Amino acid sequence: MPSSRFPIPQGTLDMLILQILSLEPAHGYGIAQRLEQISKSVVQVNQGSLYPALHRLEQRGWLKADWKESETGREAKFYSLTRSGHRQLRSEKDSWARLTGAVRLIFDEGAAE
Amino acid sequence: MNRIFNWFRQRRLEDDLDRELQYHIDRRMTDLVHSGLPEPEARRRVALELGGTEQLREEVRDIWLNRWFRDFVYDLRFSARSFFRSPSFTATAVLSLALGIGATTALYSLVDQIVLRALPVDHPERLVLIDWIGFQYAETFGTSNLMSYPICQDLQQKKDFFEGVLCRAATTISASTGGEPKLTAAELVSGNYFSVLGVRPALGRLLTTDDDQTPGASPVVVLSYDFWKNQLGSASDIVGRKVLVNKYPMTVVGVAAPAFHGVDVGEVPSLWIPAVMSAQAIPGFTTMLDRRTRWMQILGRLKQNVSLQQAQTGLQPWFKSMLDEDMRRTNVSRASAELRRRFLASTLELTPAPQGHSVLRQGLSRPLWVLFVATAVLLALACLNVAGLFLARGSARHREISTRLALGASRGRIGRQLLADSVLLAFAGGLLGVVMAPIAVRALIALLPHNTAATDLRASVDTHLLVFASLVSLATGFLAGSVPAFQADRKSLDSSLRERGGTSSGGLLLRRGIVTAQIAFTLILVVAAGLFIRTFSGLLAKGPGFDTSSLISFGIKPALTGYSDDEANQLIRRITDEIRTSNSTRASAIARVQLLLGGAWNNSLTIQDRQRFVTDREVQMNAVSPGFFATLGARIVAGRDFNEHDALNVDAPHQSLPVSQTGQRAVIVNEAFVKRYFGGRNPLGARVAMGSAHDAKPDSEIVGVVENISYRNVREQWEQAYFPIGTELSGSNFYVRFRGTPDSAFRSIRAILHNADPTLPISYFRTLDEQIDRSLNTERMLAELSSNFGTLALLLSLVGLYGVMSFVVNQRTREIGIRMAMGATRLSTIWLVLRDALVMIAGGTAIALPCVWALGRLVESQLYDVKPTDPVTILAATLVLCSTALGAALIPAHRASAVNPTEALRFE
Repeated sequence: MPSSRFPIPQGTLDMLILQILSLEPAHGYGIAQRLEQISKSVVQVNQGSLYPALHRLEQRGWLKADWKESETGREAKFYSLTRSGHRQLRSEKDSWARLTGAVRLIFDEGAAE
Repeated sequence: MNRIFNWFRQRRLEDDLDRELQYHIDRRMTDLVHSGLPEPEARRRVALELGGTEQLREEVRDIWLNRWFRDFVYDLRFSARSFFRSPSFTATAVLSLALGIGATTALYSLVDQIVLRALPVDHPERLVLIDWIGFQYAETFGTSNLMSYPICQDLQQKKDFFEGVLCRAATTISASTGGEPKLTAAELVSGNYFSVLGVRPALGRLLTTDDDQTPGASPVVVLSYDFWKNQLGSASDIVGRKVLVNKYPMTVVGVAAPAFHGVDVGEVPSLWIPAVMSAQAIPGFTTMLDRRTRWMQILGRLKQNVSLQQAQTGLQPWFKSMLDEDMRRTNVSRASAELRRRFLASTLELTPAPQGHSVLRQGLSRPLWVLFVATAVLLALACLNVAGLFLARGSARHREISTRLALGASRGRIGRQLLADSVLLAFAGGLLGVVMAPIAVRALIALLPHNTAATDLRASVDTHLLVFASLVSLATGFLAGSVPAFQADRKSLDSSLRERGGTSSGGLLLRRGIVTAQIAFTLILVVAAGLFIRTFSGLLAKGPGFDTSSLISFGIKPALTGYSDDEANQLIRRITDEIRTSNSTRASAIARVQLLLGGAWNNSLTIQDRQRFVTDREVQMNAVSPGFFATLGARIVAGRDFNEHDALNVDAPHQSLPVSQTGQRAVIVNEAFVKRYFGGRNPLGARVAMGSAHDAKPDSEIVGVVENISYRNVREQWEQAYFPIGTELSGSNFYVRFRGTPDSAFRSIRAILHNADPTLPISYFRTLDEQIDRSLNTERMLAELSSNFGTLALLLSLVGLYGVMSFVVNQRTREIGIRMAMGATRLSTIWLVLRDALVMIAGGTAIALPCVWALGRLVESQLYDVKPTDPVTILAATLVLCSTALGAALIPAHRASAVNPTEALRFE
């Protein structure tokens, strides 16, 4: 299945998950859908890598999980951000901004010449 | 950490993940079907998106627990399952490891507590023991490393080197906190004792230098935490209350910190008393300020930047000038020229003392290290045994391993599996060992000598010990497992798959090597056992030189309950008379110093024979009542025993000897004394004087010669001189030869003592047989433990040898069958197999003998009447080992000779 979408850069998936969960708690499928929407079919997220990522983040203490009733009435595992998860998101956003800024600067310089 | 935790809740995590994924799949399916996809197509899409749920699960599991750990846990589980399938193998391996680890751990516990552990004080590493090396020309009260109180005061001024210098002396007092007085261990200490050590109070205050100024002026005591808790029920109002020390009231000022048990691990004091109160704490002791009375150990705390060497060198000039000054200000100048020379040649020595000072340690550290080395050897043997078992099992599992290798398992992975095997076994063994260790420690502690003071030895498992045991287990596991793992690594894959079951030659050389090493280790242990058994039985056979059966001794200390000398004398006379006239008594006598307790009353003697001379070393002395030798059954070989007229008057305790009515003093010497100082001539009529002073008047006539009997211990034979016991009976040791059973004798004597004074402190009460037992404690411990270790070692290595030989015979069944078909006799077949065993036995012996020779020095000081290289013992041990080893090899050899050629060949 050839796709025009490019795969998500290494390491950004975690940040996106944190970002999505910073708005409201969600279950795995919900996060997958949100990712799908946000990325507007530009970025390709392999759903298979979503769950390992969630468990990794939980293991690090940035997420916590509770079983709660979902919109369909069935129990689902809802993830939400912990305090240290919020901190992590801030610092990742920060470093992301610095990185993109730096990259843009380099590109602009190249354009100026 | 979190991950380890995850291991325990794995089941729940798995369930959670299952539900979570199922939810995802179901929702996605519904959505896809809603959007019009047919159901089978939708299912395919979902699976594709997730990329295989099983793979996904694995990926998540790797997050929970890291890969290596998870695999290792699987390995362990696999190992455990396979162990349960072969219980006899498992039991043998675990038991041998448990024995090795348990014994090593138990011994380590004692070594740690007695030899290694530092005092629970501030910076114990800066504590040093200050000791006088040379001749002190002083009267001695106590055991070892003794100096006088004034020298301690001198040293306290040496502020260039020391932050502080303390002195202490252990003693036994009778303490009463309201009820009956009890004999209690106490420590007489300088006022700065606690501040130098850096100990804090649990309650009230501790002693200070203000408490140590004027003799007799500071009736204060500090209680130990345990004494306060156990004897006084942790009374919170204890500070300010009075304690009667030898009937003398002293005020409790505080309680020491719970962890602090004094500076001697073998003698834990219940209370601390300022040294200035020594006259009250030790009845009759008045020479605290005398420079020629040595009775205290001195410990110093070095200044921060001063090394031990600097301090020792820096102190010598002061010490030399002190010696010169002492020459003038004390009676040293009256000593003979030789003794003066020895006195002036003395030096001051500093040794590190982070563990404080302990007589127990001085006596036991060598035997303990010897035993510790023995257990380490035993553990190595157990390791080798398990390694051998593994190799045997390895060849059985050979095909399994080869198959795994063929299926693509890496060699490292296989090696790890084998390592998991051994680590699991070692930990099982270690666990069992740790469970057994406290029992062993308790038994060991019971073997140690005891007195009034409690020892600080515990049979509990602390973190220290757990760390040691798990380290040992881990090392054991790696050691035992690395051999087979290494072996597995070397095997070539195709050759092993081509081999038929049971014909692999893998590891045989290694197994032979292991058995050879085992035999070497065993021989070392058996030789050691032989030496210690000969030492112990030699001492038992030698005995104390008198008949110990039906002999009881006991000690009383009337002075500790406030008896004056006169009253004490009357009491002792009364008790003596009653015992003498009792039905169950055959004979009885009194001695000033207790026999076979390790201590003696030592002094030089001046002898006036044809010429006047001073004994070249101190003579061991005792004061005894008439009939003492008869009671013990020691023969008077020349002259006569004391009689009632020999001891009537005495001028002063400690120094002088009793004088009879005619102004005559009498002395009895032993045969060793006659041999050394009279060359065997008749000494009767010669005169002696106590001490070596110029003006000593030799006015005691030698009236008798007694055969050699033991004094300090059974081992030692020394020159002895006996004086009639005078009127200075502040405390006495009774010796009673009884009729009938010990029980009835005990009862009647106890009744007599109770009649005389129910509160009389009895310091000990036991038969002489028991006393001998106690005095041979260390020797017995060495003999018993080393022979146990030797037997165990022998068993372990026999099992090893038997295993290898059986294996060899199995392997060579075909060959043997062919040989027999060709006409070999049964005998030659047996020889064929035995030859193999003989090579290993001879090899082991050849390795062991030089080791025995080298290790001999370690045990030499513990032996009696036998050299560490004693040929008889070594020969006997070698014979025992060789014959039993050959016996073990003979069984498989016999089996080999019974091979039926036709069957053996059909086997192929």
